[in-house]
Order: sequence, then C-alpha cells, then structure tokens
Amino acid sequence: MTYHIADEPIETSLRAYVVRPSTPLFAIMLGGAWLSWPWFAFNAIAMGSPTRRKEIALCLAAFLGTGLLGALVIALARAGVIGSGAPLRLALLAIVTFKLTITYYISMVQERTFHVYEYYGGPVRAAGAILAAGYLLNDLVIGLSDNPLWIIIVSGGVAGGVSSGIAGGISGGIAGAGAGGL
Amino acid sequence: MEERQINILLEQAEVQRRLGNHRGATELVQRALALDPDHAQAHASLAFTLLGAKRLAGAGIEARLALGLDANDSFIHHVMAAVLVAERELDDAWAHCLIALEGPAATPEAHVLGARIQILQGDVARAEELLHEALALDAAHTAALSWLARLALDAGDRTTAARHVALALESDPADRDAHVVAGYIDLASGDVSGAEQHARFVLNQTATDEDGLALWAAIQARRSRLLGAWWRWNTWMSRGDERRRVALLIGAFVLAQIAIIVTDELGFEGLTRVLNLAWLGFCAYTWFAPELFRRMLARELGTVHLDPDF
Repeated sequence: MTYHIADEPIETSLRAYVVRPSTPLFAIMLGGAWLSWPWFAFNAIAMGSPTRRKEIALCLAAFLGTGLLGALVIALARAGVIGSGAPLRLALLAIVTFKLTITYYISMVQERTFHVYEYYGGPVRAAGAILAAGYLLNDLVIGLSDNPLWIIIVSGGVAGGVSSGIAGGISGGIAGAGAGGL
Repeated sequence: MEERQINILLEQAEVQRRLGNHRGATELVQRALALDPDHAQAHASLAFTLLGAKRLAGAGIEARLALGLDANDSFIHHVMAAVLVAERELDDAWAHCLIALEGPAATPEAHVLGARIQILQGDVARAEELLHEALALDAAHTAALSWLARLALDAGDRTTAARHVALALESDPADRDAHVVAGYIDLASGDVSGAEQHARFVLNQTATDEDGLALWAAIQARRSRLLGAWWRWNTWMSRGDERRRVALLIGAFVLAQIAIIVTDELGFEGLTRVLNLAWLGFCAYTWFAPELFRRMLARELGTVHLDPDF
C-alpha cells in the first residue's frame, strides 16, 4: 500500500497511445488547430493526467476564444473598422498569436504531468506519421468550408509566407462573405 | 509503534534526499504516508523531496497539506517558504521564512533560505546578515559560505570571496555552488584553465546546470568572441523557466511577423523576402540549436578531463 501524490498520473487503458506534449505542439505548426487541440485533450485522458480537466477546458477555451476573436475581426472588417491590407493582417496576426500562446500554455501544463508519467516509466509513442498525415490533410480540412471563421479556427499558428497566404485567403473570404451578406 | 516506523522511514528518506536520490526518498515518504495520511511532517518532507525533483505542482500541494495539518511547526514553514520561492511568491515566502527563523530550533538552512529571498528582493545587506547568522550556528555551513563568496565577488572583493570559497570547499569538496563561485573568481583573476576545471566539475555532475553553463559561456567568451556570444545566447535562452522561453519565442514571432507585414504593405518586396527567409532560418535554427548545443557541450565535457590533483 502506498500514498498517491496529487501530481501523479492515474492508470488508463489508453497509455499505449500517449505522445510527448511537444508532438501536438508541432501539430499546430505543421497541421492546424483542428489536429493539435483535440490531440492535447486525448493525450491528457490517455496519460491519466491529474490536470486533465484543466487541459480539456483549455482546449475548449482555445476553440472558443479563437472563434470569438475570429468573429470579432470578421465583424469589424465587414463594418469597415478594420481596413483590408496591413490592418487586417495585423488583426489576424493577433489571433495567430493567441492560438500559439494558448497552445504553448496547454503544452506546458501537460509537460508537467508528462515528466512525472515518464519518470515512472510510462510508455511513449512516436507520432511522426500522424504529424505527416496532418500536414498532408491540412488543406483538405481547411477547404471543407469557405467560411472565413472556419478557416481562422482550424488553421495553424504558422509563420512567414504561409501565414500571409492564409491572411490573403481570409481577406478574400471576408470580402466575399461581406459582399454576399450585403 | 506506527509513529516510530514513520520516523524511521522519514529519516531514511532524508538520507536518500541528501544523496540526491529523489525517487528513493519519495517512495519512502509515500510508505510513511500510507501508514498515516495525516502526518504533517511526512507531507512536508514529501514536499521538500518533490521540490528537489522539480515537481513543483506536487510540492505545492503537499506543503499546503502539511501547513493545514500543523501551522505551528518551523520546518513546515521552512518548506512552504522554499516552495513559494520556487513559485516566485517572494513576499509570502519571506513571511513563512520569518516564522521558521523565529522558531525555537531555527536552522542554518532557514537562514540561507531567508538570505536567498532577500537577494531576490534586492536587500543584499540583510542577506549578508542572515548568512552570518547561519555561520554563527554552523561555522562550516557550505551554502552560507558559498553565498557569502558570491556576494563578495559581486561587490568586487575577490580576496574575501576566495576566503569564503576555500572554507566552503574545505567543508564540502564537491559543493556545486562553491565550484561555480570559485570558477568566477579564477576567471576574474585571469586563470581561465582554473575556471574551466571548476565548470567541468559542475557540468560533469549535472550537464544542464544553469550556473555551470553560464560559467562555461563566460569561459568560452574569453577564448573567442563569436563562439562566446553563441554560448552566451544559448545560456541566456535556456535560463529561467519554460514560461520565459515561450514568451521570448512568441515575442520574436510577433515582431518578425509585424516587420514582414509592414514591409510587404509598404511595397518593399525584396526586404520582405529577406525577412521571410530570416524568419524561416530562425525557425529552423530553434529546431536544431538545442541539440547542437547539447552535443557540443557533451563533446567539450567528454574530451577534456579534470587534472588528477583537482
């Protein structure tokens, strides 16, 4: 008989599917939020993380927060408050920054349990194939809807030219949706 | 009978903790807590052990449990203060440390902890007072001597620093803090190879030791400005907690993206392309640099050995 420390993970039947928290973190860069946040939530459950409720709540908050910010940017763009070009791209950058920050935060919270999980010899699965599949499927998932809010939510926290490409696409989407709505 | 068994387990855990065997110590305290889950000292001991193993969340929970069970014990306040220092709650840490210091059996360790809090809060004079009080209780207290040496060196008093370090190393020849300060004293005296011996000693014990890496960076900087700058950059990036590193990376991301957007919108296509490439280069660098740094460190530590007399 032994005493259970509050930061220790509990036994689950899904331990064989646990990945390092850095893997879903990379998923937001190589794939998108559609892959990363649900993966974090699954990993928390599979690991038996004592903070799994917090981690799942953070994943939901990430989707919800991105949705709210996206809806706000779209509404402001339609109202003409945020002009196209630099102002819109900067507003989208703010959303990407929010997504990256919350993803890093979830990763940090999960990393604490993962250290203890690994310390007690918990199995860890390599997931390069899933990352590669996520990268290849990314365009397909983003293309499921041409609604700019969908694109904002499911896309990743990506950098450089890719980011500006998405910004351009969303800019067009907003213009299109705005014209359609009007 | 049960109390005696618990005390034996806690004593054994303390021995394991001092030897650096945090896992063994944790298991022993867990066995003690299985016998009595409301044993305040055992919870405090577990918190201290978890803190040593960098399990801050668990340490915080256990320290608070211990305090809830017994709010009058000096050791429990000491442990709570140590946890709060790790959580960077310095005012609360000092409040608990004061209770530990005012207890009937105030230890040199509590004085050193108090000194650390005062240093973090910027009151060096009060820290020195506390360190001298620790030495009044135990004249050969290694941590107190090492901290005094560090403060003397910071004040530019190399002679006093060297005296304190010599006493610290006499008391414990393997003390990590004393070796780090000794390395800086050697470096300040122009003895680069002496400093190198101390840095190697520290890094051979723990290859990721922040202070050891910072000393190593300072030594590298003496050899080559470019290499030294790279070592300094890596040491600076790896310093502090994960939150700081993430904030730095996200800050770099935002700044780079703003620069790219602004130059692009202003029509500086060439500059935008250069910035985009620079950003992608930085991204690639952040992927391989930590591994490169680790390999370089392993090579450096592996190829050169300590002097036989060291």
